[in-house]
Parts: sequence; C-alpha cells; structure tokens
Amino acid sequence: MKKTIVLLIAVCCSVVSFAQTQLDSVQYLDVIELSDIKLKQNAAGFKVTVLKDSVLSKNTSNFTDLLRFNSNIYFKENGYGMVSSPSFRGTNASQTAVIWNGININSQLNGQTDFNTINTNNINQVVIRNGGGSVQYGSGAIGGSVHLDNRLSFTKHLKNEVKLNYGSFESKNISLVTDYGQDKFAFNLGVNFIDSDNDYKYLDSDKINENGAFNNLSLNVNLGYFISEKDVIKLYHQSFIGEREFSGTTATPSKSKYEDENSRSMLEWVSTHQNYKSNFKVAYLKEYFEFYQNKNSEFYTFGQVNTFLAKHNFNYKLSKQLSVTSILDYNLFKGEGSSFGNPERSIFSATGLLQYNPSTNLNLGFNVRQDVTSDFTSPLLFSMDALIGITKFYKVKINGSKNYRIPTFNDLFWQPGGNFDLVPESSYQFDLGHVLDFNWLQLQLNTYYIKSQDLIQWKPNISGFWSPQNIAEAHSYGAEVGLTINKKYDNHQLTFSSNYSYTVSENLETNKQLIYVPFHKANATLAYSFKRFSAHYQQLFNGDVFTTSDNLKGPFYSLQSYNVANLGVNYKVLQHSNHELELGLKVNNLFNKLYQNVAFRPMPNRNFNIQLHYKF
Amino acid sequence: MKKIIYSIVTLSLLVFSCSNDDDAFTQPEPLGAYENGIFVSAEGGPSSISYISNDFSVTENQVYFNVNNENLGVYLQSVGFNNDKAYIVVDAGTITVVNRYTFEKLGTIDTGLTLPRYIAFDGNTAYVSDWADPNDATDDYIAVVDLNSNTVTSTIAVAEGPEQVLVNLDKVFVSHKGGYNTNNIVTVINTVDSTTDTITVQSKPDEMAINNQGHLVVLSGGNEPWTGNETPAAITKINVTDNAIVSSFVFGIGQHPGLMSYSDGNTYYILDNAVYGLSDTDTSLPTASLFDITATSAYGMAVKNNLLYVTDAGNFSGNSTLKVYDLSSGSETNSFDVGVIASKVYFN
Repeated sequence: MKKTIVLLIAVCCSVVSFAQTQLDSVQYLDVIELSDIKLKQNAAGFKVTVLKDSVLSKNTSNFTDLLRFNSNIYFKENGYGMVSSPSFRGTNASQTAVIWNGININSQLNGQTDFNTINTNNINQVVIRNGGGSVQYGSGAIGGSVHLDNRLSFTKHLKNEVKLNYGSFESKNISLVTDYGQDKFAFNLGVNFIDSDNDYKYLDSDKINENGAFNNLSLNVNLGYFISEKDVIKLYHQSFIGEREFSGTTATPSKSKYEDENSRSMLEWVSTHQNYKSNFKVAYLKEYFEFYQNKNSEFYTFGQVNTFLAKHNFNYKLSKQLSVTSILDYNLFKGEGSSFGNPERSIFSATGLLQYNPSTNLNLGFNVRQDVTSDFTSPLLFSMDALIGITKFYKVKINGSKNYRIPTFNDLFWQPGGNFDLVPESSYQFDLGHVLDFNWLQLQLNTYYIKSQDLIQWKPNISGFWSPQNIAEAHSYGAEVGLTINKKYDNHQLTFSSNYSYTVSENLETNKQLIYVPFHKANATLAYSFKRFSAHYQQLFNGDVFTTSDNLKGPFYSLQSYNVANLGVNYKVLQHSNHELELGLKVNNLFNKLYQNVAFRPMPNRNFNIQLHYKF
Repeated sequence: MKKIIYSIVTLSLLVFSCSNDDDAFTQPEPLGAYENGIFVSAEGGPSSISYISNDFSVTENQVYFNVNNENLGVYLQSVGFNNDKAYIVVDAGTITVVNRYTFEKLGTIDTGLTLPRYIAFDGNTAYVSDWADPNDATDDYIAVVDLNSNTVTSTIAVAEGPEQVLVNLDKVFVSHKGGYNTNNIVTVINTVDSTTDTITVQSKPDEMAINNQGHLVVLSGGNEPWTGNETPAAITKINVTDNAIVSSFVFGIGQHPGLMSYSDGNTYYILDNAVYGLSDTDTSLPTASLFDITATSAYGMAVKNNLLYVTDAGNFSGNSTLKVYDLSSGSETNSFDVGVIASKVYFN
C-alpha cells in the first residue's frame, strides 16, 4: 500500500511538475548539452568536484591513478592495471556508484565497477559526488558516486586531437579524438588503444611483475541532432574490449587471464520548453567477462549481463523558486554465467525531486524514490539537502539521505550459496559541509556520518559452503578537506589543489576498523605554467591499512603507509590558432619508493612516460 | 680439599669440552627450535604456519616467514613430513621444502606442478595430487617426485579432483573429492608398476586413515543439497589387500561431515559442531555425540594422545583459533591464536 502511495505521489509530481534553480543559467537551448542535468540542479547541498579535460589529459596512466591523486577516494588495486575497487568514505567496493551519462553502470554481477576497465579518453568531465545518491543514481551510491560525462557542443567547430604516449614497461597509448559541431548537429568520436607489458621490477627484490601485461581498446561515439528548435536527439556509445593477465603476488605466481567486453549505447530525446524539460532515454548495456585460470588453457568461466533500460525524466518549473522533477525508470537485466545459470531481474522505480530556491542564498532539495524489484523488496529512499549562503564567500551545505545497495546476481544466484532471502543493504547518512570560496581560493570541509545495516556478507554456513547473508552492520565517519588555490601573474599561472580525508569505518559487531580503509589519505597537486611551458608535481600519502579483520599490525596483518610522487613537464612546441603540438614527460613514482596497495602486490617503481599531443 | 679437586675436574672438563665438540658429556644438540611440537598450517591469505610446543608453553606464529624472511604464497593447502624434511604444498603450484626442525628453506619443487593439493611419501619418492586446470575434468594427475633431486619425474593420470593421498605398503590411495566438481572414487596406485584401480565410495571422499586393523578408513562428505543431487555421507572401511569394501557407515540425509581424524582404535568426526567417536568395533554410527565444541567455522581437526585439536577459522578474514579439547571430559583445555584460515594440524 505504502508503495502504491509513493508511486502515486511520484506520478502526480510528474504531471504537475517542475522548475529550475537560480544556480544554473538555464538557457532556452543550452549550447553545451550535458546528459546528466541532475548533477547540476539537484545536488546543491552535496560536495561535487569536477575534474575537467585539462586534469584528465594530464593523467597519462589509468583511471585509478587519476582518482587516487585527485580525489578523496581510496583504491585497492591488485597491482598496477589489475582489478581496482574503490572505498569512498570508508564504504566497500560495491558502495560507490559509477554513472555514465546519467546511467548507473556498476556490474550486476558483483555490484562494483573495476576502475581499470574505465577509459577516460573522450570523456569530457569526471564528476565526483561525495555522499549518498541512491535516490538519483540507484543502487550502490552510498559512499558517493563517480560520473563520466560526455558533452556535445552545438557551436561551429572542428577539433581533432592525436595523443601518442610511450613509456616504461613497453607502455603504449594511442588516442584519437574528433569533435565537430554546428548549430543543429554535433558529433564526437574517440578511439583509444593501450598496451603495456607492465613487467615492472619489484623494488628490493630480484623479481619482476610477471604475468601482468594488459591491453585494451575503447571506442566512444556521441552524436546530437536538433530535430526542431526545442528537441534534440542524442546517441551515446562506448565500447571497451580489454585483455589482462592477472599478475601474481610476491609469493605466488599466476597464469591467469581476464577478458572484459563492455558496451553501452544510449539514445536520448531531450525536449526543452519554457517551463518544462522532458528527457527520455533508452539504453542497452552489455557486460561480459571471461576468466582463464590458466591463460594457456582453453577452459574459462564467464559471466554476462545484458541490460535494457528506459528512463523518463520530466522537469517542470512551477515558479522562479520552485521546480519539480519526476523520474520513471525501468530496467531489465538478463544474466548468464558459469556459476549462476540464467537469472533475470526487472526493476521499476519512481523518483520525485523537488528543488526550492526561495532566495539566492538558500537552495533546498527534497527527493524520494521507491523501487519495485522482481527479486526482493526495496526500501523507500529519500534525500534532503540544503545550500545556505551565509556570506558572499561562505556557504554551508547540508544533506541527509537513505541509500541502498541491492543484492547482486552473484549474491542471489551463485551456485552454491546464492541466497534468495537477501534484502538490499541500507544506509542512513548525514553530511555537513562548509565552503569558503574566494576567487583565487576555495576551501571545503565536510564531516559525515554513515550507518549501514543489512550489509551482505559471504560466510561459510553449516553445510560448509559460503553463502551471503544480511548480517553485518557498519558505520563510518570522518572529515574531508579540499583546498584549491589559483594564482595568476602576467603569464605565470599557479594552481594548487589538495585533498585530505580522515576516515573511521568500523564493523559494529567487533568495533574494528574495516580492512583496506586507511585512517588518513592525502594528496596534493601543484601546477605551474608560463607561456608554452607547464609543469606539475603530485604527491599522494596513503596511511596504514589493516589487511585482516583483527586490526593487528605487522607484515601479516597490515600494510605500511606510503608516499608516492609524480612529476610532469610539458612544452608547446607549436602554438598556432589551429595547430598545437605539445610534448610532455612524466615521471611516476619519482622517488622510486617501494609500496604496496594490496598485500604482497608491489606497485611500480620509478617509471617514465613521454607524450606527444597534437591538436588541429 | 675436596672442593679444590672438584673445581680442577670441572675446569679440566670445561677445557676439554671446549676443545672437542664431540664431547660425550654434552647434551645431544636439539635438532631445531621446532623439534617437539605441533604445526598448524593456515591457507591464508596470507598463508602461514604456526608452532606450538608439545607442553603448550611456547607458541610462534608465521614460523616460515620468521626463519626465511619470505612468504609461502596462497593458498597453503597442506604439509607433508618425511624424514627430517617438511614439504609445504601451496596450490599456486609450488612445494617448498624445509628442514622440519629448523624450518630453514632447502629448496622448491615448482616445475611439473599446477594446482597441487596433498603429498605422501614412499622412500625417496613422493606422490602429489594435482588438479591441473581445475576447470578441466580430464587433466588431473598424481605427480611422482624424486625426493633426491626434488623434481617431478613422471605423472599418473587420474580421474577428476584427486584430494588426499596416503601411502600404505606398495599402494597409494587417492581420495577424489572432485575438485570444482564432485567425484566418488578412491584411486589405488600400485607403486611398483604405476597401474591404477578404483574403488567406488559415497560422493566427495576426502579424509583417509589406516586403522588398527589395517583397513583404509575414508570419509565421504556426500553431495550437499544445493547441488540438486544430494547424496549421503559415509565412513567407508576398505581392505587394503584386495581393495574390497569391508563396511560402510552411511549418514542420514542432511548430514555432511567434512572433518575426520583417526587415533588409537577410534575414528573421530565433527558434524555441526558435535564430536563423534566411531570405535573400530562399532557396527553402526554413534547416535550420541561425545561432546560439543564451540566454533564459528570448524575447519580442521586432529587427534593425538586423547586430545582433540580443532581449528576455528572464525570469520575467515582474521586470525583463526586452535582449540584443544580433552577427549575424555570434552572440556576445552587450551586455545591459541593461529594464522588466517587455519586448516591443518600436524604433530612434529
């Protein structure tokens, strides 16, 4: 009954609905079309960090490296380029949602995204949204969400980019991007190929990283066409084909290999009117993997999920101050795999968002969502947020939300062990943020508390096999500080940005810190440019982590803290209006430090990368 | 005066003993720090081996790491002991050879092995069960190892999922738990000519022992209900001369014991945290248990000198506990912190 009421409310909202914030300059036709408008409009009370093109192109290594050097997110990477899972605000790997152009792309199989299967070539911006976002972004947005957005620019232009990288361990990276636009039509295409032997030396040992080679090919195509003054049709496509050997540990060799094939296609119709905006998406996602225990053998296990989704987003501007949004979302998942047969799942969800901005100093958001799922009952989700401008320079951001993570196909259907009696993990959280914003300096401080219950944990049962149960409870709390400074004198430009996080994340049964969650993590980037020359220095500090649940210290129970630094220099050899050639050199792990991110899996020693970047 | 004589004698002894290491007056040197005690191997990760002295006064975790300053790798499957050596079997494809008393590394056997499980010895030869590619049901084998050169000299093809190996006279018995699948045979290898024979038992045969009558005792866990094809567990006694089944003690449906240890006329097993004893003369399974143990996840067991040793793997993400029970009283006498996912208990 409750469900029905919520649905009714949501549907009503969609009929009555919508408005717009004073925050964003809603133009009749946005010249730049971002697929995920909610990120701009309905997140005023959340900490949102944008990593722009310039930061993305500075990163010559993988997506994991980009985020660990530029955000509060901690990563557990099984050796460079191998499986990489995030811990955001002390939560586990399936509690960070990855959103591609507004759509949640976490695996239905294990609930996670392996960040080393994400290629940011031809992604225009990466947005990090701290804190719960399940109302807008669905399952897994508990610690936070990472958004990959493509932009289409409807102004007359044609830009091409070629990037060639070559680096240590026979690492090669070739990337081509074409971006074209005119009044009615915009188009971009990106192709990227990465190949690396990845056979770095383990410092203080005579071993090298054996069986760690990888390569991947990714393709991005995005198109947009205005069929009328108010209607634009957009098509997004992304494919990723990756092959990775899975390296062993310092003590255990490995012969295994993993192949990924992911593709995402989405068709979107956006209709923008004076008082309302309608956005209809249909998408088809495919995730597929093959795992070879022995890469020389023909035997493998596999898993596959095909997702079909339809999503309608309707915003209505009731007045200058008040806007409402309804989202109706239908997902159908079809899985197939060696260990779980052919499961299917469908999820229907209705979401209502209300944005009320009574004055220029106050933005309020109130959001609810209810899912109806074929396999289990989902909780009613909500979030409330506020942005309060205290002075011209000082703002307070507050949000509170209830979020969830649904059981995965593995949790439900794995043979043996899969448990049909699981319910979604649920989590309450509260976040208080302060923003001090001068033109040249921005300081952010966030403190949060997250309590999660019904956490799904695999445990051996009485019959001797492992089975998941909704048993664990955990809470995490902590503080995040972000500082950005921009200074410009004549041709000198100096940028400093830094993030620090203090994280306590405890199992409430044992009151012990969860494994692989550092209490302290900090990073900083100092960038300087002068005319054609630019340089940057990055430093990452990662505190101790426990590797077993006993919270003991020592080589069998914990990993030592580490400091890693990178240095990059760039010079524009050519700089014309329509020709630009930039040469770059980057030194990773500048001080050649031995460090491990996951126990017994050393990370690369000092290594070099040269880049040739040609724009025309 | 007497005192002076004594001191002269003592002094001279000292001088004498200093000059000659083979002095008959000195105590025989201990073979190593780990000579008299119990080893508990833990699968990990990280895998490790713990030592507990027989009198329980000395305990040491991560023995191999402490001595050799390196790790064993995951997952430590089992350890075999032969003469003065211990063979540590890691299922990533390596057997590490150490001195069983000092735990100093002597060498490795790492070619010819893929996914080794257990090792058993016959003179200078060892037999190692190996799943090869666990996804391939047809490539499993027993590796024959020359212990002088630590090399695999030949392989004997066997059916899917060979688990424990036991050498008795001129035969090697191999229980086929089934690896990633399930199997229901014991392979018998003739060590003279390497010919094989099979004995069909209940599904998932695993632990084996030779009892006082000279019979092979095999514990089959049976297929669990989730397989969709539940079969009963059983303790089967086999005549080692003609490979015939002497008797079979079949468990009720829903009962799937996984741990068994034989000691002095009794076969002990654990079922749902209750300890049962089946004496050699019993004609049916005991209806009542001896006593209950307290364990979150009983994962390994061994019996010696009327003491039961059980490893409790707990939550599988932290250290395990070794619990010692007095078999007569059923009371817990000692408990020790051991490695992560401790699975085997050995007496050195």
